[in-house]
Amino acid sequence: MRIRLDPWPVDTFDGQLTLSPFAGLVFNAEMDRWAALPTRGVPERVRRVLVVDGKPRMEARLLLDDEAGTLSVAGFGAFVVGAVDLCPHGTRRAELQGVAARRVLAYSGDARLEAARLSPRNPHSGRLEYDPHPFSGAQVEGARSKIQRLMLDAEQQMSADLASPLPLDETDPDALPDTLVLQDGPVRIGEAGRAVVGYVKTLHTDYLGADRIGLLTELKPGERTPILRFTLGDRGEGGEGGREQRFTWYVRLCEAPFYQHPLAGVMRLEMHAPEDSEFVPRGVQDIADLSGALLCRLASQPHKDPRAPQNLIPTAALEQAMGRAMGSPELVTRRIRAHLAQEYGRAVGA
Amino acid sequence: MVLGTEDATPVTFWFAVSPGASVQLDDLVVVQTRKPDGVPVRFYGIVDSVRTRHEGVTFDSDVQDVVAGLLPASVSYAARVLVTRVNPENFIPPQPGDEVRHARGDDLHMALSADKMKDAAFPGGLLADGQVLPLNYRFVNGENGGHINISGISGVATKTSYALFLLHSIFRSGVMGTRAHAGRALIFNVKGEDLLFLDQPNREVQATEDGVRAAKNLPRGRYDLLGLPMTPFRDVQFLAPPRPGGLGGGVILPNVEQRSSGVTPFVFSLREFCTGRMLPYAFADRDASLNLGFVIGSIEDRLSRLAQGDDAPYLTVEDWKPDTDVILDENVRFGELGEARIETFAQLVSYLEYKLLEENEGEGDRRWVGKQSPATLQAFIRRLRGVQKHLSPLIRGDLSAEQTRLFRPDILREGVQTSVVDIHKLGSHAQMFVVGVLLRDLFEYKERMGRKDTVFVVLDELNKYAPREGDSPIKDVLLDIAERGRSLGIILIGAQQTASEVERRIVSNAAIRVVGRLDLAEAERPEYRFLPQSFRARAGILQPGTMLVSQPDVPNPVLVNYPFPAWATRWDEVAGEVGQQVEDAGKDWLGL
Repeated sequence: MRIRLDPWPVDTFDGQLTLSPFAGLVFNAEMDRWAALPTRGVPERVRRVLVVDGKPRMEARLLLDDEAGTLSVAGFGAFVVGAVDLCPHGTRRAELQGVAARRVLAYSGDARLEAARLSPRNPHSGRLEYDPHPFSGAQVEGARSKIQRLMLDAEQQMSADLASPLPLDETDPDALPDTLVLQDGPVRIGEAGRAVVGYVKTLHTDYLGADRIGLLTELKPGERTPILRFTLGDRGEGGEGGREQRFTWYVRLCEAPFYQHPLAGVMRLEMHAPEDSEFVPRGVQDIADLSGALLCRLASQPHKDPRAPQNLIPTAALEQAMGRAMGSPELVTRRIRAHLAQEYGRAVGA
Repeated sequence: MVLGTEDATPVTFWFAVSPGASVQLDDLVVVQTRKPDGVPVRFYGIVDSVRTRHEGVTFDSDVQDVVAGLLPASVSYAARVLVTRVNPENFIPPQPGDEVRHARGDDLHMALSADKMKDAAFPGGLLADGQVLPLNYRFVNGENGGHINISGISGVATKTSYALFLLHSIFRSGVMGTRAHAGRALIFNVKGEDLLFLDQPNREVQATEDGVRAAKNLPRGRYDLLGLPMTPFRDVQFLAPPRPGGLGGGVILPNVEQRSSGVTPFVFSLREFCTGRMLPYAFADRDASLNLGFVIGSIEDRLSRLAQGDDAPYLTVEDWKPDTDVILDENVRFGELGEARIETFAQLVSYLEYKLLEENEGEGDRRWVGKQSPATLQAFIRRLRGVQKHLSPLIRGDLSAEQTRLFRPDILREGVQTSVVDIHKLGSHAQMFVVGVLLRDLFEYKERMGRKDTVFVVLDELNKYAPREGDSPIKDVLLDIAERGRSLGIILIGAQQTASEVERRIVSNAAIRVVGRLDLAEAERPEYRFLPQSFRARAGILQPGTMLVSQPDVPNPVLVNYPFPAWATRWDEVAGEVGQQVEDAGKDWLGL
């Protein structure tokens, strides 16, 4: 018997142990040969890489009680999206972009709520302003989902704003854009046509099948698999199609230590694919070719980050900055309590 | 802005430096905060620590990722302030986020308490950014406090230069007002002939100051900024001991090498030695035994009586025949026939030996011996013989009355503001003797005349003259000056390498304390506790021409630089042709 270590910390939801097979069809898009491809380095013309991420936080769950005695749920929460703007060639310092917290009062029901303004005792420590956002349904976790939804939307918006357009053409030699966005998680619906690459840190779905997955363990750092194509939401029932198509490929960021899970250090990348086309656009191919070099450069070290190497250096910094931008949760909770006490205290007392 | 991540207190706080701004150590800053009732409180302070670091990163090696452009990090540039003044005196803490600014103009005056000094301020040097540090003259002249003490390693601390700069500033800045001409200085030159050119312009000062001005990007020259003339000292007399042996024929030459003219030799006559009760100052270590002290006291008394009633430089005694034959010459006065004349210090010692140990077949003269044991008396004579070699050139009986009058050191001579007494060539005992006698005379004179005109005494190597351990007549004089001199108008500008080795009361009586480069071990001693820790650490790296100055009005020391001396400190710095004619020099020596 052999023991292998899950590369992810134990508190991470669902580590890197098992894969559930993808039900739908996966096609070879780039070539028929299934073999490792070396990276070609990051071309000079890519001047800017943006690593985009977002972070939601629930700050308080609320119970609303209107004049008619109807109860409904709500929540105070916050989210941040931000980006690290860096040059893949290291010609300038990496910078944070747009890391600013937005606070949300998510509520169910029809009653219009006013924005809540929480003023501090000390004028130097800023005020919190919660914008009301209604959500449908009355489930307790609705507020959390609403905030998550808002965050994803904002993240997507940011990626779309920042990324260069990517012509999905087969041959255009100038297809490679100068600005590339790396976005945490799979690419979203509606982002097509922009140079946005989604990166998936943990592999849960097996798009390869037993005969191909062996290649992942053989990849050397920086090498990638050929590009594949699949249809989003394809459950193998055939014909349904309709939904967007994706390109995907795998990159290895570091040598997996012998005692770890064989897929440690492998990341899956994803981009939009044009509808039902047989070819891989030149831009996507170029991005796939540079991805190994770029990600190896951004990969983190295990002694600094428990989720190394997939949790990229800029991502970790961004997460930290975003956490800070939302402020200390204890202090925010205290502020919420003080605010409610101040708002309703007198009424209760009278 | 005041930092919120470090404690901000009314005495010290940190602030963040905005991008593009620059703050360095010793910058003076001001911050204003508001009390809840809206009353503003302003804190003035001096920056004693500055630092930058990456914030938002965890590991030291993250700097590589930051420089490689992978990891976003911001540089936190922060400075710590030691508060020197709170106005009004409401000791509330500043609030995080309060804006901190460089103190300039009126704020600077407030930070350095210049508003309290008003017209009593004189420049004590330049701050790092070229602004003037005012010192309160009332803490120098004895009105509110007195004395200045300077510590630092020899050579690099430039203690003497700073003492002279302060004197120059006091005399020439106008702080003394109409009494400026009445201020006097007595400077003891203990090392080299550095101070014998005080009255000569320095050839290099213009070039050096121009260089500094360009390097520091100052709007004007440093002398200009300070409001001081770039001129050497005025009305200086130079006193030097005579050359041992001399040229014979009673010609007394000053024992200096570099300067050929303008130096007056000084000697004491034997009679002055006796009447002036200078004997104790020949014994640097009086603490040897109590009995010896008694002997010195009684002999001092005897000699004083012996010397009464005449004014010739020599002594005459009836009851002793010196071994050497006295050559009778035309100077012999009628009344002295049949008497022995004591003309040299050696003869005086021989005479004392005779009176104490030889007369009456070894019993000695009973009135002189005074019930002391022969061992003590022998110790007395032995010690006196020990210093005889050093003191002989200084204490003379072989000069004419005219010469004696001419060569008597008179530091309060009319028309002289600064007297430089060169003692560097003298042996240690003779140095002690000269310093002790001159200071004693000065002190007694001022006791009679009161504090009307301030006399500044510059004395280096205080640890030699007033060591912490032991007891000596000079230490007594210095202690008197330190403790009472301030009310008599004698101000001691003392300097030493190590304040820890100087009598505590002398150092502690100094109102203004200055520290140049210090040995780091020395800087940790309790004498330097007036320096905050960061300043003590920095005292080890101070460059020549830079001093830490602490004065009572400002609770924290301030780092200043001061200009290159406008007076020559070496022969080759003297501007113009100074090589005076040899004849002139000779005439000068001869007092013609």
